[in-house]
Amino acid sequence: MKTFIMICSIMACTLIKAQTVQNFQLKNLENQTNSFSELRGEKLTLIDFWASWCKPCLKAIPELNKIYAEYESRGVKIIGINCDGPRSMAKVAPLSQSLQIKYPVLLDINSEVMNNLGLQAFPTLILVNFEGKIIWTHEGYVTGDLEIIISEIEKNLGNR
Amino acid sequence: MGRIWKMIFISCLLTIPCITLNAQVKGTNLIEYQYGELPGDTAALSTIYDRAVVNFYKKSFRASVALEQFYTRYENRNYLKLTQYSIQYQTDQLEVKIGNFYETIGRGVLLRSFEIPGAILEDLSYRSRHYFNHDILGFVAKYRYKNFTTKAMYGQPLNYVFPPSQDKKSRRPDIIEAVYSDYSFKGQTFGASALRLTNASGSKVYGMVTASGKINPVVSYYTEFAKNISNYAITDFSGQSPNAFYGNINLVFKKTGITAEYKKYTNFLLGSGINEPPALVKEYSYKLLNRSTHVLQPLNESGFQLEAYYTFKNLSTLTLNNTVAINDFGERYVFQEYFAEYDFTLSTKHDIKVFADYAEDPFTLEEHRISLGSLIEWRIFKVSNIKTEYEFQTFNRSGESVQNHVLTFGYAWKSKFICSLTGEYSNDPFITDGSSNKIWLGTNIKFQLNNENSIQLFAGQRRGGPACNAGICYEVLDFKGIEIRMTNRF
Repeated sequence: MKTFIMICSIMACTLIKAQTVQNFQLKNLENQTNSFSELRGEKLTLIDFWASWCKPCLKAIPELNKIYAEYESRGVKIIGINCDGPRSMAKVAPLSQSLQIKYPVLLDINSEVMNNLGLQAFPTLILVNFEGKIIWTHEGYVTGDLEIIISEIEKNLGNR
Repeated sequence: MGRIWKMIFISCLLTIPCITLNAQVKGTNLIEYQYGELPGDTAALSTIYDRAVVNFYKKSFRASVALEQFYTRYENRNYLKLTQYSIQYQTDQLEVKIGNFYETIGRGVLLRSFEIPGAILEDLSYRSRHYFNHDILGFVAKYRYKNFTTKAMYGQPLNYVFPPSQDKKSRRPDIIEAVYSDYSFKGQTFGASALRLTNASGSKVYGMVTASGKINPVVSYYTEFAKNISNYAITDFSGQSPNAFYGNINLVFKKTGITAEYKKYTNFLLGSGINEPPALVKEYSYKLLNRSTHVLQPLNESGFQLEAYYTFKNLSTLTLNNTVAINDFGERYVFQEYFAEYDFTLSTKHDIKVFADYAEDPFTLEEHRISLGSLIEWRIFKVSNIKTEYEFQTFNRSGESVQNHVLTFGYAWKSKFICSLTGEYSNDPFITDGSSNKIWLGTNIKFQLNNENSIQLFAGQRRGGPACNAGICYEVLDFKGIEIRMTNRF
């Protein structure tokens, strides 16, 4: 019966669809406040939730730099949301500089945006369309994921 | 029977508002089944844990509920609770939240709340599993206007050691009332805060000031100072007067980044642990180093951390770290650590990381601790790779030589399917239960069904001990058995 109740509660939840990114405001590495509406792409926005202690996150960053260089002019923006807590927040700016991150990095010390979206892993990449709807989510980063991200961007650019 | 009706009522509570109000709804569900033994168990135990979070959105409003349940064959450990609920109103300038919320003041010196995504906590005393979060139950209001921000809050922070099966009085023994304001101009931000803490031992008021900003393209800084202002004079910095200072300076030059941090915490453990000042100890993803962390003692700790990064032309990176933490409890303990890591790519497709670490940790009686390791991801075909990881650690404790080893083999096909086999060996007499050594062997499999659903399986033995995740350190229990976890996002 307990299992049945659990399954029912999950099923009740899965009846519902659609996920939109609500506008949020966070400070950037320059100590200035930016909002999602200011930074979002004209067609697509790729948001990368990362932390300095997460190795796959750091592995993804040079690849995201490549995507940013290639797709920015095509209406695709990337936003990095760093979720380091107080313990390692101080390292984010020097690390970002060392990795030469080209796209804006925002600091979310309480992981509020990530929690609001129900994301539970680092790194998580979400692709947001021009309406603000999340059209693709990707957890983790391993070799070969670059091709998957590019293919998803291309597919959705074609749909616009 | 009453529990079933409660469940049906909660399910209706979760689904009806979205239908009637045409609200946007999103949420997550995490369910984990365990069958196995924890330390002290004489027979395998079967447990099931579930956490469903549902968020309703309608224009500027948001409502959220989290339902947790845990079942074993022992009734006193079981529970079914709405552990979090909140209503929020948010515009670009104003944000009001009533219910459970997360809020940190400054860098956590005065107040720190958090949620560790996906982490389930179990304590040997209660043996009841629950989600690892440290929230506040009450209300918070924030207002932003141009360069000015202010927030006020009232609430009861959670003491996360106690599971939801325990009463509210034990779980939320402290009451806080706090205000924080800051003003930014020309890239500099100045802030001030006051926090009143009330609990069974009385009421105390703490004040804090912060300053942060960028001096030029090369130099940025952050500082905060807090102290008890109700029981001690503002100028009193004696060993009894609770006060805390944290500061950092960052330097960036092209492909080099340097951060220098300093801390001095005196008698600054607030209430049941509502604050968590920055530890200034590096958090590692390597198993042995992560477990060997120095745990911050906010009652008396000072020290610094220096870290430097350099990215070479071929995108390989070098990380160097030096940490010193000093505790003086009549006897002086000095924790020191030196760490170096080089991360590079071989033949443009194989990722290699190597590290070396040397530490002295008198708190855990570990002398001359040397740790070495490598992690290699061999790319095979276009979208799959094989991971091999080896870590070795040796130190002396009371004249005895102790060794730890970790060996992992893994395979990943994209991020869709990941499996690994991990073996650990230790001859540490603190954990070998009287034997000359101990071996742990476990396998992990993760299958990402689609964007919304994933399944994880663990089978075998898992070594426990201190673990740090997302900046928070806690104790993980040894486990032997199987564990199946399903996560669903909707």
